[in-house]
Amino acid sequence: MNEPIIDLEGVCRSYERGNEVLQVLDHLDLEMQRGTFYALMGPSGSGKTTLLNLIGGLDRPDRGRLIVCGEELQDLSSSELARWRADNVGFVFQGFNLLPVLTALENVEMPLSLTPLSRSRRRAQAELALELVGLKDRMQHRPRELSGGQEQRVAIARAIATDPALILADEPTGDLDRASADQVLELLQKLNDELEKTILMVTHDPRAADHASAIVHLDKGRLGSIETTERGATQAAKPRS
Amino acid sequence: MQARMVWRNLMAHKLRTFLTFGAIVLAVFLLCFLRAAVRTLEGSVEAASSNRLMVQSAVSLFQDLPLAYENKMRAVPGVDWICKWQWFGGVYRERSNFFAQFGIDPETFLRSYNGVAMVEGTYEDFAQTKTGCLIGKGLAASYGFGVGDDIPLIGTIFTKADGSEWRFTVKAIYESTTPVIDNNTMFFHFEVLKDAVETGAARGPRGVGVYMLRLDDGVSPETVMAGVDTLFENGPQRVQTTTEAEFNRQFVTMLGGVPKLLGAIGIAVLFAIFFAVLNTMLMAARERTRSNGILKAMGFSDGYVFRSLLVESMVLALVGGVVGVVFVKLVEAPVSQSIGRAIGGFRVESSTMVIGLLLALGIGLAAGVVPAWMARRIEPVDAFRSEA
Repeated sequence: MNEPIIDLEGVCRSYERGNEVLQVLDHLDLEMQRGTFYALMGPSGSGKTTLLNLIGGLDRPDRGRLIVCGEELQDLSSSELARWRADNVGFVFQGFNLLPVLTALENVEMPLSLTPLSRSRRRAQAELALELVGLKDRMQHRPRELSGGQEQRVAIARAIATDPALILADEPTGDLDRASADQVLELLQKLNDELEKTILMVTHDPRAADHASAIVHLDKGRLGSIETTERGATQAAKPRS
Repeated sequence: MQARMVWRNLMAHKLRTFLTFGAIVLAVFLLCFLRAAVRTLEGSVEAASSNRLMVQSAVSLFQDLPLAYENKMRAVPGVDWICKWQWFGGVYRERSNFFAQFGIDPETFLRSYNGVAMVEGTYEDFAQTKTGCLIGKGLAASYGFGVGDDIPLIGTIFTKADGSEWRFTVKAIYESTTPVIDNNTMFFHFEVLKDAVETGAARGPRGVGVYMLRLDDGVSPETVMAGVDTLFENGPQRVQTTTEAEFNRQFVTMLGGVPKLLGAIGIAVLFAIFFAVLNTMLMAARERTRSNGILKAMGFSDGYVFRSLLVESMVLALVGGVVGVVFVKLVEAPVSQSIGRAIGGFRVESSTMVIGLLLALGIGLAAGVVPAWMARRIEPVDAFRSEA
């Protein structure tokens, strides 16, 4: 049995919209295993992105307990959360969210500047991450000089540069054409297979979800079901070395 | 990495950065220039010596005092020596070529003022040549005058009876480091005027504009001032004796509210530029809302985001300030020569440059702190929802 990397107990999160209180997550209990590639699905407004933000320490629950990578997040201060994010999580967003003024290499190097690595080590690690996503030849390009698929691969390289245990991807293929989307999904799959990264990917696309090992369904802020995909079943039948 | 980010962000909108930078350069330049002008006006007052008194007519500065007063004043206890000053008011060739000219006593003039030194020719030569003149190095540079050159002047107060020009030969060129004597003035022998008027060779007032009394060391100026004023209380011409500082101050006062106006303009410029930089930084912060959210998601602290914007604002302002100060220093000499005849001894003091730089830094700090604080406070989740 894998040890859980994400453990949620009775997590609630609501937002105020004018005079109305919108209960986005409603007493959610969820456990996710280390080294698994999860797809998080559900209709719009089911709380997928909110859940992702809570797990990533970008938002705080109103109530409940949230243990991610061995840390109880709900009680951490802003600066503690920032430090925790730097050490444990890599984000991949739908809109790529690269820093436009920096080159691909500098974007990937950016989170490494929060580590005690020397400049040359940071540079080497960033180059390695870009090589892993197949973009070593584009490392001096600015985001605007890259295609959408390439930008997203740079974002993935940035997310893995610090070697975090958890990668959170919010509709990473939402803005991509099919070919680019497939490349990105294969890359995420590779990170899960070869580097044993735990990946939680929000998606609306069933084809994208098929690349995951398990699909978590959310509905109206509650856990609907967790289903194992074909890939997950194959993985389970073939224990990792 | 942060320095690189600051630089890249500044360069991301070159035109906007350049325009803001230009506005700061202009503001600092204007502030320093205006302060230098005000300080120059005040400088002569501050540099005035307490052992020099100025005696003028109690009626008006434009009313001359009798020549006979010199000997009477010399007898007042505490007076060491006297130097006469007579405003000549001539023009060089044409009316636009105006600079200050004074008839003085060569025997007592130079020793009255520390900080006046000859850079060309000798003072002795000037003192021994009745038709000689002594000119400031700024004046020499402006008109290309050198030792041995003749300077023809058309008199406006003192006019030659035959309608001819006054001619003075440059015998020495001085450099003054005291604001009391500026470097754009011409001095010649008072005797030339006196003799010409007395012999009928020229028309003009018979008398002396101002007597400068050099006091003995340790003498109370108040006592001498009272003594001199009392001496001529019953005429024929009542006098007003003041310290040199008070005498110089009346010229600043004559300019009315000019120093205050210059100060007000400086403050207005400061505010205008503050809002321009604030606007730039607010735009920068708004445009980078999403980028700041990304940084925070990556694990960068709120403080990092705050510092980035603040440093960016301060770097922009400080570099603008440095360039503004360099510009004002570069124009110091030409301005001193061109307006030095109106504002004698225009100079940009170190304190003015430091104030210019501090103000630039202050603008950068004040204009950067609000956008930086806004960027610091925004949550990553809200940053990602922004449209910027």
